[in-house]
Amino acid sequence: MHSILAVDDSASMRQMVSFTLKNAGFNVVEAVDGQDAFEKAGQRDFSLVLTDQNMPRMDGISLTKKLRENPKFKATPILILTTESSDEMKAAGRAAGATGWLVKPFDPAKLIEVIGKVIR
Amino acid sequence: MRLEDPIPNLPPATLPMLAVADVQDSLMVAAHDLDRLQRLLTDATDTLMDHFCGASTEIGGLAGITGGTGLPDATAQAHLQQVRQHLSGAVTALQFQDMASQLIQHTLGRLQHCTGRLARDLMGDDDFGAAVLQDAPLHPNPVTQDEMAAGSVELF
Repeated sequence: MHSILAVDDSASMRQMVSFTLKNAGFNVVEAVDGQDAFEKAGQRDFSLVLTDQNMPRMDGISLTKKLRENPKFKATPILILTTESSDEMKAAGRAAGATGWLVKPFDPAKLIEVIGKVIR
Repeated sequence: MRLEDPIPNLPPATLPMLAVADVQDSLMVAAHDLDRLQRLLTDATDTLMDHFCGASTEIGGLAGITGGTGLPDATAQAHLQQVRQHLSGAVTALQFQDMASQLIQHTLGRLQHCTGRLARDLMGDDDFGAAVLQDAPLHPNPVTQDEMAAGSVELF
């Protein structure tokens, strides 16, 4: 079973993401911000990271950069799920090594479809 | 031009102190109300989420019961599937709390900056030291959505 690291500082968003991913048969580990996610990523392997952008302590783009420095996460898909939709932010996400950019709110079926496309 | 930048080539405006104080009071009330709205929203969302997750868990339990009999009841399974679809249908709209929260926080930051700016310009520093002005939000509001329709998806 694929494990997904779901990162968001909003408890309600984490619940919605977890509900959607678990219903689709994924194992989900939640993290409350980028720093928490980075620590959890060091403890085990994940098939995909789905992260918010605006979070305290460490944002999604910084998390992406730090994960890409680790050989273990060089090829792991990282999707940024955020309210931010500006071209500048998307470009920064892409430059950091993100696999894709999803603007909130997400549609459950669409999210699962996108994950299916990028996951190994 | 940012709010804190000086207005070029214009004499300093003189506003009646009472009018400025009135505006400042109104801004503070608006900020307080926004803060209250944030708490109401969080409280309501916590309750909604508890019920949503509770219903979801019960559905999982029911599916296990009907599946465990070895005699799958097609009607029951169809109803369970319908309930699952209803729950999934609510997922997009239930993300409103996260977006509304960000919107409120950003607006609150702007109001607090305006209130502080008025206070500083009107009263200046006091005996306790220099007036502290809260920074205005650096970025435009990140939430630009007007409705709860699903957002765009872009793969790099």
